[in-house]
Amino acid sequence: MDKSVIFSVAGSGKTSLIIERLSRDQRALIITYTDNNHRHLRNRIIQRFGMIPSNITLMTYFSFLHGFCYRPLMQLQLGTRGLNFRRPPDRHYPLDNLNRYRDGSGRLYHCRLAKLLQVVKAIPGVRARLERFYDCLYVDEVQDFAGHDFNLLLEVSQAKIGMTFVGDFHQHTFDTSRDGAVNKNLHDDVLRYEKRFRDAGITVDKATLGRSWRCAKTVCDFISAKLQIAMSAHEIGCSRIITVDDQDQANLLHADPAIVKLFLSEHYKYGCHSENWGASKGMDHFDDVCVVMGPGIWKGYVADRLHQANPQTRNKLYVACTRARGNLYFVPEKLLRAFKQGT
Amino acid sequence: MPAIKKIVVKNFKSFCDLNLEFDPGKNVLIGDNETGKSSVLLALDLALSASRSRVENIGYEALLNQGAVQKFLAGPATLDLLPEVIVDVFLEEGDEQGFHGTQNALGTQTDGLRMSIVPLIEEFGQTIVDLLKANRNSFPFEYYSVQFSTFAGAPHVTYRRPVKHLMIDSSRVDSEHAAREYTRAVFGFHTEVGDRYRLENRYRQGKEAFGRESLKDLNDTLGDYQFALRTSSRSNLETDLVITKGGIPIENRGKGEQCFIKTSFALQKHEEKGSLHALLLEEPENHLSHTNMKRLVERLADTTGTQLFIATHSSHICARLDLRHALLLGSGHAGRLKDLSEPTASFFMKAPDNNVLELALSRRVILVEGDAEFILMEHFYTQQAGHLPQANDVHIISIGGTSFKRYLELGRFLNIRIAAIRDNDGDYQQNCVTNYEGYLYESAKIFADPDPKRSTFEIGLYSDNQKTCDDLFAAGRKKLTVQEYMLKNKADTAFELLTKKSAELTAPKYIQEAIEWIRA
Repeated sequence: MDKSVIFSVAGSGKTSLIIERLSRDQRALIITYTDNNHRHLRNRIIQRFGMIPSNITLMTYFSFLHGFCYRPLMQLQLGTRGLNFRRPPDRHYPLDNLNRYRDGSGRLYHCRLAKLLQVVKAIPGVRARLERFYDCLYVDEVQDFAGHDFNLLLEVSQAKIGMTFVGDFHQHTFDTSRDGAVNKNLHDDVLRYEKRFRDAGITVDKATLGRSWRCAKTVCDFISAKLQIAMSAHEIGCSRIITVDDQDQANLLHADPAIVKLFLSEHYKYGCHSENWGASKGMDHFDDVCVVMGPGIWKGYVADRLHQANPQTRNKLYVACTRARGNLYFVPEKLLRAFKQGT
Repeated sequence: MPAIKKIVVKNFKSFCDLNLEFDPGKNVLIGDNETGKSSVLLALDLALSASRSRVENIGYEALLNQGAVQKFLAGPATLDLLPEVIVDVFLEEGDEQGFHGTQNALGTQTDGLRMSIVPLIEEFGQTIVDLLKANRNSFPFEYYSVQFSTFAGAPHVTYRRPVKHLMIDSSRVDSEHAAREYTRAVFGFHTEVGDRYRLENRYRQGKEAFGRESLKDLNDTLGDYQFALRTSSRSNLETDLVITKGGIPIENRGKGEQCFIKTSFALQKHEEKGSLHALLLEEPENHLSHTNMKRLVERLADTTGTQLFIATHSSHICARLDLRHALLLGSGHAGRLKDLSEPTASFFMKAPDNNVLELALSRRVILVEGDAEFILMEHFYTQQAGHLPQANDVHIISIGGTSFKRYLELGRFLNIRIAAIRDNDGDYQQNCVTNYEGYLYESAKIFADPDPKRSTFEIGLYSDNQKTCDDLFAAGRKKLTVQEYMLKNKADTAFELLTKKSAELTAPKYIQEAIEWIRA
């Protein structure tokens, strides 16, 4: 029963690693965090096996949390009816009060359900269910587990089956299920983060997925140097890093449908082929990428201080930059401001 | 094979609360009319089918236990007291996590399916309250809804049914709907999904080709408006399929034959493929001749690989399928005969058909050895009690011999009060006391004459009614005494006594005691 967490860099083949480890005679449960990734993995499984084999189950984290962990064990007993994805109100209830976990119509607050499982002592039952039905648990995008969900993950990992967690610490862009101060600083320090896994008996593997297939050496070197996020490349490509500072070139870029423009936010207002930095996570179909920087970041870029940006922005920028298979353009937002609508 | 292990039912039809365990092979549900045999099959059928439209067609009003409705209306009638229907079908555990969990009435962690019919309180709470306030006697059936889920709390959907089952209801055998449903179901599990779609597609194409070619000449003369063949959900391969035997559609055969064909056709293929998991048979004896019924029973007895659920009145079916498969439903008692000993079960399989069921369905029974006792017992009872034995729910069964021990075992199992009346055959202590040690229970007792000289019923009867008997039988006796004559013609003399001298007869004392005791 190998238990390991494999930290990867962008474009190093996380999904492929999981797909390659699947087989027809191992009962596998795969948990993804986002719907996007669920769709992606589902297609990859179909590409490999021609279908979804009956021994392989794919779920998003919230289907796992509610449909696999909670519902089979507790739904009738606690009289609840599904999940509520809004933030719970500020009203304070003690930890053992059911109203802390569900709203007036019996829906469970998504960010507190993991805690509820612990409070009602359902975790041993969850582990037993995992052991009963699966030989191995795969968790993709493990860096997105935060708040109570992270604690649940570590508890669940004690089940006596194989565990393979894959993720990229620096692709953690936001906590979807933060609850108060629980694990608030989890993603502030990578060494402390890794220690949490080691303490739970999970081997930390940074070698297997340390090199990117997607990004060329130039891009990897740039990210290692400027963002101070270590990554290397499998191949020495010939892509370039291009800083754009004149209006004509910016206009050409804006008009080029082959180059995606990635914005920190509100990309849809610029009337071009675009996406937001954070939302581009998991996307793998861009060639040349143009990263658009607001005034603050642009200043940091020019002054070689990008690594000092706040961790969240830095991570999003990392995501954006690592979308590039080909050339990576940087352009200040002010050169595209003329195209912005609805300001 | 995902066998059905158990059903737990609450507020469904006639059941407030029912918990029945099933055998993985055969299950024979026996019971009087209105004891809920069919309800058990219906509960299984509905919960396994997960068909909302079927449930809605039957109607919530018909499914919700009337007692529960009345109790609700008689009480404070608040929302939290609205009754719910629960049907939990427990299955043999498999490898699919989506069926496994504790979301059932017992809280057991296992595989299973649930049908619940619940009031939509969150959605219509206020409306229901208003309705109840406005009319205290009307129950808000309209605000109920059926839900199908698994024991993992996941939705149970028709295309992912873990148990393939078929229900054959011979009382509905002539309804067109039932026939179509049957055909569709049988077609369904004789074909793989892919093949089914391919056949349906080709059928539709065939129709289209007919329209294009054969209707062409006609349509060419018509201009804008054209004739074509219907291809819709009401007219497709599944609706047009019929099952034939010897070239004749089975729906054109007699009801009995239909029932027979349907059952054996449903079972036939599945033994090879093992694809029909459960067959539910509702009173298969209806419309069947005795011979056909025996054929059908042999067919059922040979079935392996399909779990059978048979609701029947026929003790022949029940006994031939091994009494240990019987599940007994009655107002007073319910249980399985499974725990009977092997010799007793084999005995009842060979015993006269009607005794088994009659005993099993009674609450109080007087067992007698022979015809003479049987003929006179009802009279003695009426004489002593002032009314017929049925009025006390007492049945008199002649077991034609002295196999009391078998009946006592069955009686003990079903907790039936039994007075067994037998002859002492010259040794009361040996034959009527020692002999039954270990077989009697609180509500079972042997009654016999303690006097060794009164060794049989006729001797006792004669000595207690000497004048009456002499009056009736002495005339014409040349060689035999009246006593000897009675012993040689037990049933005939008993019948004559009953018809001609019943008013003057006195029952032997041990029989009076038996009657007194059984009524207590």
